Amino acid sequence: MIRFVARENVPRWLTFAVPLASVVLAAIVAGIVLAATGHNPLTTYRHIVQASITQPGAFSQTLVSMTPLMFTGLAAAVAFRMRLWNIGAEGQLYWGAIGASGAGLLFHGLPGPLLIAVMLAVGLLAGMLWASIPGVLRAYFNTNEILTTLMLNYVAANLMYYLIFDSTSYWRDLTSPSARVFPQGKNLPAAANWPALQVGSLTIPFGLLFAIGLAMLLWGMIRATRYGFEMRVLADSPSVGKYAGIRTRRKILSLMALSGGIAGLGGASQVGDFSHVLDPRGLEQAGFGYTGIVVAALARYNPFAVVVTSFFIGMLVNAGFALQGPGFPVGLTGTMEGILLFCVLGAEIFTRYRIAVRLPHRPAAAPPVEARPAVPHGGMS
Amino acid sequence: MSGINANIGISIIMTAILYGTPLVFAGIGELFAERSGVLNLGVEGMMLMGAVMAFLVSQRLPGPGWLVLLVAVLVGMAISALMALIHAFVSITLRANQIVSGLTLTIFAGVIGLSSYIAEDNGIGGKAGKHQFSDLNLFGLKNLPVIGPVLFHQSAMVYVSWLLVVGAVLYLYRTRIGLYLRSVGESPQAADAMGVSVTRYRYLHTLAGGALAGAGGSLFTLQIATNWIDGLTAGAGWIAIALVIYSFWRPELLIVGAYLYGAFTSVGFDLQARGITSIPSEFWSALPYLMTIIALVLVSVSSVRMRLGTPAGLGIPYVRGES
Amino acid sequence: MRNDPTMANGQPAFPPGGTPVPDRAVEAPGDAGIAAAMAARGITKRFPGVVANSRVEFEVLPGEIHALLGENGAGKTTLCNVLTGLYRPEEGYVELGGEPCRFHSPRDAHEAGIFMVHQHFSLVGPLTVAENVILGWSRQSGMWFSPRRVEREVARVAEQFQMAIDPGAKIWQLSVGEQQRVEILKALYRRARILVLDEPTTVLTPQEVRQLFSTLRGMAAAGTSVVFISHKLPEVLAVSDRVTVLRAGQAVGTVRTADADARSLAHLMVGRDIVLTRRERAARNHLGEAVLGLDDVNAKGDLGTPALTGVSLRVQAGEILGVAGVAGNGQRELAEVVAGERPGTSGTVTIAGRPQRGTPWEAIHAGLGYVPEERLGVGIAPGMTIADNLMLKSYREAGHGPVLHTKQALQNAAESIKRFDIVARGPKTLARELSGGNIQRLLLARELSGHPKILIAASPTRGLDVAATDSVRKILAQSAEHGVGVLLISEDLDEILDLSDRIAVMYRGRVVGVVDRDDADLDRIGLMMAGVES
Repeated sequence: MIRFVARENVPRWLTFAVPLASVVLAAIVAGIVLAATGHNPLTTYRHIVQASITQPGAFSQTLVSMTPLMFTGLAAAVAFRMRLWNIGAEGQLYWGAIGASGAGLLFHGLPGPLLIAVMLAVGLLAGMLWASIPGVLRAYFNTNEILTTLMLNYVAANLMYYLIFDSTSYWRDLTSPSARVFPQGKNLPAAANWPALQVGSLTIPFGLLFAIGLAMLLWGMIRATRYGFEMRVLADSPSVGKYAGIRTRRKILSLMALSGGIAGLGGASQVGDFSHVLDPRGLEQAGFGYTGIVVAALARYNPFAVVVTSFFIGMLVNAGFALQGPGFPVGLTGTMEGILLFCVLGAEIFTRYRIAVRLPHRPAAAPPVEARPAVPHGGMS
Repeated sequence: MSGINANIGISIIMTAILYGTPLVFAGIGELFAERSGVLNLGVEGMMLMGAVMAFLVSQRLPGPGWLVLLVAVLVGMAISALMALIHAFVSITLRANQIVSGLTLTIFAGVIGLSSYIAEDNGIGGKAGKHQFSDLNLFGLKNLPVIGPVLFHQSAMVYVSWLLVVGAVLYLYRTRIGLYLRSVGESPQAADAMGVSVTRYRYLHTLAGGALAGAGGSLFTLQIATNWIDGLTAGAGWIAIALVIYSFWRPELLIVGAYLYGAFTSVGFDLQARGITSIPSEFWSALPYLMTIIALVLVSVSSVRMRLGTPAGLGIPYVRGES
Repeated sequence: MRNDPTMANGQPAFPPGGTPVPDRAVEAPGDAGIAAAMAARGITKRFPGVVANSRVEFEVLPGEIHALLGENGAGKTTLCNVLTGLYRPEEGYVELGGEPCRFHSPRDAHEAGIFMVHQHFSLVGPLTVAENVILGWSRQSGMWFSPRRVEREVARVAEQFQMAIDPGAKIWQLSVGEQQRVEILKALYRRARILVLDEPTTVLTPQEVRQLFSTLRGMAAAGTSVVFISHKLPEVLAVSDRVTVLRAGQAVGTVRTADADARSLAHLMVGRDIVLTRRERAARNHLGEAVLGLDDVNAKGDLGTPALTGVSLRVQAGEILGVAGVAGNGQRELAEVVAGERPGTSGTVTIAGRPQRGTPWEAIHAGLGYVPEERLGVGIAPGMTIADNLMLKSYREAGHGPVLHTKQALQNAAESIKRFDIVARGPKTLARELSGGNIQRLLLARELSGHPKILIAASPTRGLDVAATDSVRKILAQSAEHGVGVLLISEDLDEILDLSDRIAVMYRGRVVGVVDRDDADLDRIGLMMAGVES
């Protein structure tokens, strides 16, 4: 019989070895799935690396894919760490995009840096407000946030579509000739294009740098501030938080809002860094919010690790776009993300438990043993 | 006059049943899983897998219509159960967080995942379905006024869903195993102490939940839409999960909720078809989701929830000796 | 027969390690030649970091009531968990009617007719009594389940043993004593040959205890063996036929109850004559202002039923007010109301002169220290470090604006560890890696370093070994000397009698009496606890 037995102490090397081993396992499992469906795994992997890193321009494209995932990954990490299951980063990002694109259009006269700051601020605010709805419902009515945030994603998506496809809203382009044939959003003025850093042949979007700074800020906040302390207490044990006088409900609301705000920044970055227009279809198909959950879970909710995992998932996503076609179906990206996350999730138990195999046999009646009449820990009698 | 009203009424009921039946299947499935203490957020993914596999079979398998449909649904159920097995293994045996594991399942099998992968790989997107469930004429009574169409002019799967609900009620409250199931969900420690295998009940009912979600999903490609579009369930899996919550985990309430949803889904299409376009279509699309939120708030506000409701052991991995 | 230091079973008198082996009184198994109904043979059970049972030999005869005596942590529950299939021993085996047997789970034990009633009941709240009784019972016929038929069957069994219970009632509606009866019914329904009860009287009033004992005697007379785990000498002497004493994981003696008395059993239990701190009653004129006042407080419990009714109490600076009562009579809710964790429906709570609106934060600010009953998971965050836990109440002032002073916190933690004798690797050790006694010391360290005016201590020594219990009681006595008012809530009546200046007794959410320690005696308080006297 196979049982899990708690480890007495957790060696440090194990906390690194286990995730690494699970990634290797995932690669093998994915390889099997590929082979079973008639694709050569090694070729596929090679293509992925080529399309995301080695080919000219590929690395920069990967950074483009990575940027929104950093935001939604941080958003999910901040919330999930506290067992607040904010699945609404998707909708919160949409609102960030709506807000930032509106600001970009409205304040087109402002100088560059100021305009960018305004777009960020509006994106942040929009995401925060949208997340506050399920936040209030959870904090004050104890309504399950998984479903509320999720439902609001669909509502936000519908709103985005309405703005561009079904109304004469401010966001909609009503004048240009192509717009009369097919609904599309108004392009943002050039001043609203966010800058990018050129390092050799590498183009690093402003949003990416901003996100890295954000990750550092969040890490510092969690570790070394009062707010972060309270968050860690509530994450470990809500009943202890109550006992210590922490205002749990306010904390829940503020954390949901923070999480939503970060996702909103991601939406602003999408508009400012890349699309320069409100593009409902593109945003919906990309599914940044949901992918961000994968990123956060792989990073075990650590802000720094999010930077790393968002890069790798960004690689996968980018490769998915570049290689689209018969050799690389669209669904492969999600399939591989899923396999990877399942392996990482499943392997975690091995950091705190080990396997003990009990063979069915009868132990001897009077075995020699060290008699150690230790005083047991309190609580067992 | 009354004849026209009756017609509108009947048509609403019929569309309610049409759109509600997948929710009944998936909802009862999730109800079983949650009654055993396992939260499975992968319903949306499992429904899509059921849909795509059933469609694939119906396109490729030669033979008489009824047989192809039967095999298609069974294959859809089997594959979805397999998906559920992954979630069960990772969250029950390997004790991962059930919420994250379920979400992973949805991402894995969902709209950018395995279901689209299979669809694209086999080239079935956009093609018209060869077989679909059609409405039967039970006992030849379909022409009775009012109750004729509603009761006797439904497709086979609808009748199966009715049997399923009745069976679920009997199972939960009148069988020994159903009693044991309820205890596993409410208090795994107590059930384990009395010799009921918590692990086995959780596995079995999670798998059953998966199979039923697959059956529900298959209805999308074999009855409602009769072709394949990536992600065609459009959140039905999530609504099924919500249904479980505010039917208080009771099958007889769940079917009522499912039909209400079905009705709301079609109201938008209906009004547009009648030329009432002042309310944008996006509003009608968003309406079911808004309704869910309102219903959830109402449920969580009512103090009744404390007594009759959530299986107390839901979502928590069970380990003997640790509690 | 007692205190006969004979070697038995070939075990060496002094095991390697030098710890002297405890006295061992040997009683030949079944001296009338009766075979044991069940026996433990050389059972050793280990958990990470501790040996809970060490080569234990233990026998139960048919139709006897056999008490398993020992203090907290001696290994009694663990041994019985092994005997009833919940745990698998590392060494040794269980014998049933002379034949060795292996239990892979409690179910196997049930099949063999062995049942255990644990301290925490295995009952499913929303189900009925009858449903709980038949749960998991494989000898039932058929797939279908008829509530009425089952209720009738259960009623029949209950009547047979003169137990008053309504088979159709839902578990959450029952009192604790009634729930315990359901647990016993489960065993009786399945024709138990051996029934083990783990500290069954902790949650009963004296009258219910008498009822329980008569039920047990009836069972024993009908041939069932009863194993009765307890740490309470009077009960063991009252109801058992034989007593086996466990100490620190080993069986140190088995005697016939008729041949034993309280002193000899206590001696076996602790191996020395322990005199626990008995605190001198504080002189009345040394007491200070009232630091805690409750006036006509009412509160509701978790299920909406009244938990506190018209409670009025006062605690002065420097005095210890003990709150006695069987668990479940409102003590937990009392602590929660004072700590601001539970809103009262009417009445006022005043801390150090400040009326409370009912939030933990306000109470802490007014000078409340609170050592809760549940340590890990309420008072201490298990996944956080010692240093973090020590900061749990003071972190708001422990920094520069929003930023915390982590270095300072680590230093303070190191000091507290030394001052309160906490055994740990360092301030960065996670709390869940500490033993029960150290967690309690950690809690006290934190609460007391905040210089509280009033300290609530709920079951402060429960589950601790003798040394830890002693040190905790010393700390409490010392704080009272330094002017802290202490509200001591405990199920251990001896503890209350030893430490308190005055004693309040709670019954069904009311304070039924407040007596001076010097005027109080065990019987009178016991009656108050059962609601007889007021």
